[in-house]
Amino acid sequence: MSSSPMSKTYSFSTLQQASEYFLEQGWTDGLPINLPTEHEVSKFMALSGQSNTDIIGIEPVKGREITIEKVAINSVMAGCKPEYFPIILTAVEALVESKFNLHGITASTMGAGILTLVTGSIAKEIGLNGGISLFGPGHQANATIGRALRLVVINCTGSRSGEIDKATLGHAGKYTWCITENEDFRPWPNTGEDRGFSKNANTVSVFAGLSPIQVSNHSSQNPENILRSFRDALFAAGPNQGEIVIIFCPEHVLSFKKAGWTKNQIRDFLYEMAVRTNDEWGFGSIPPGSRPTGSEVTHSALTPESFTLLVGGGAAGAFSCVIPLWSGGVGSQSVTKELI
Amino acid sequence: MVEGIRVLDPTIDANSQNSLLAIRPESLNGLTVGLLANGKKNSVEILQYVYEILKDDHGLGAVIKDNKGNASRPCPPDLLEKLANQCDVIITASGD
Repeated sequence: MSSSPMSKTYSFSTLQQASEYFLEQGWTDGLPINLPTEHEVSKFMALSGQSNTDIIGIEPVKGREITIEKVAINSVMAGCKPEYFPIILTAVEALVESKFNLHGITASTMGAGILTLVTGSIAKEIGLNGGISLFGPGHQANATIGRALRLVVINCTGSRSGEIDKATLGHAGKYTWCITENEDFRPWPNTGEDRGFSKNANTVSVFAGLSPIQVSNHSSQNPENILRSFRDALFAAGPNQGEIVIIFCPEHVLSFKKAGWTKNQIRDFLYEMAVRTNDEWGFGSIPPGSRPTGSEVTHSALTPESFTLLVGGGAAGAFSCVIPLWSGGVGSQSVTKELI
Repeated sequence: MVEGIRVLDPTIDANSQNSLLAIRPESLNGLTVGLLANGKKNSVEILQYVYEILKDDHGLGAVIKDNKGNASRPCPPDLLEKLANQCDVIITASGD
């Protein structure tokens, strides 16, 4: 049930003029966009079966009502195909949940991106990449879904660089950051299953991800030795992380699989391994707040369940990564939703 | 603009209906001031410093101090209401 667009329209005599206008207004991420003509936007609206006035969510701090039409416009701008739209709408629903704290993560100097994880058969159906060059470039679904969400943040919540967005550095994932797992190598349940959804469910999760810290270990096949390589990266994230994401590359995962290690064994090992005294924390990477001191021991994670473990990346190369989340994985909680 | 390529506006305006600015007092002399820190390290110190300057220069009256505790979340409505009832003016600050 679509209807006529509710959004204001602008007319231009040339494509170049229209494109430049969007850039000048700060309505893009700095890159040129696909122009959101009524015709292109209508393809997304038709697929959604929703009316142009329907609201997908309300940004909880500023009270902005985000309509499906606005999400469709920004999805066209990002270069999405209409079949990606259900994922984008589900992600927007997740983003505006209070516990995700979208305003905080997109305004903060800490500079988080939105890491979107898709699980289930929908990922393969639309061509989402979970393998070689996981974080891109070169894969339209990954590149444009993540970009659509960033454009929604810019245009629908006003978190534009230098205005509400006050990131000191930010990182490349703020342009676009959408992945799925490498299903050819995943030996354990996916994140959707871990969070209570059925094995066959299509789910979308959003995480307030800081820049990934790559971890290399080409020398070990033993699970304990591989996991010890993550110690410094976990220390860089800071103590008492409420949530933290680790993406294991297939080479590392094959070693875990060969040794019969489960996700929970890995979580327990990481939790017990990445500990040090508060004095040591105080001389490392120090998060905002008071400098830790004393001989008491503190873990890098609050609990073993703080670790979200994923399998991703190409089959060759023993490169995994740790992705710390914004504000110690406490100020924003990740959200998982079943596909709309 | 010449009619030709028609494109749709991707933006949503801020909902400003509930965000009116408070009426500014003509003088601070003798007014009760609320100091609302935002939970960041040093925000209390900055507020205290600002308060002392305003007190010396403009004769501010009583002071009520509070802290919303979380810089990235809006101030809880009950705390805002309490301060609004007790104070003539409120100063808030962030520190790091």
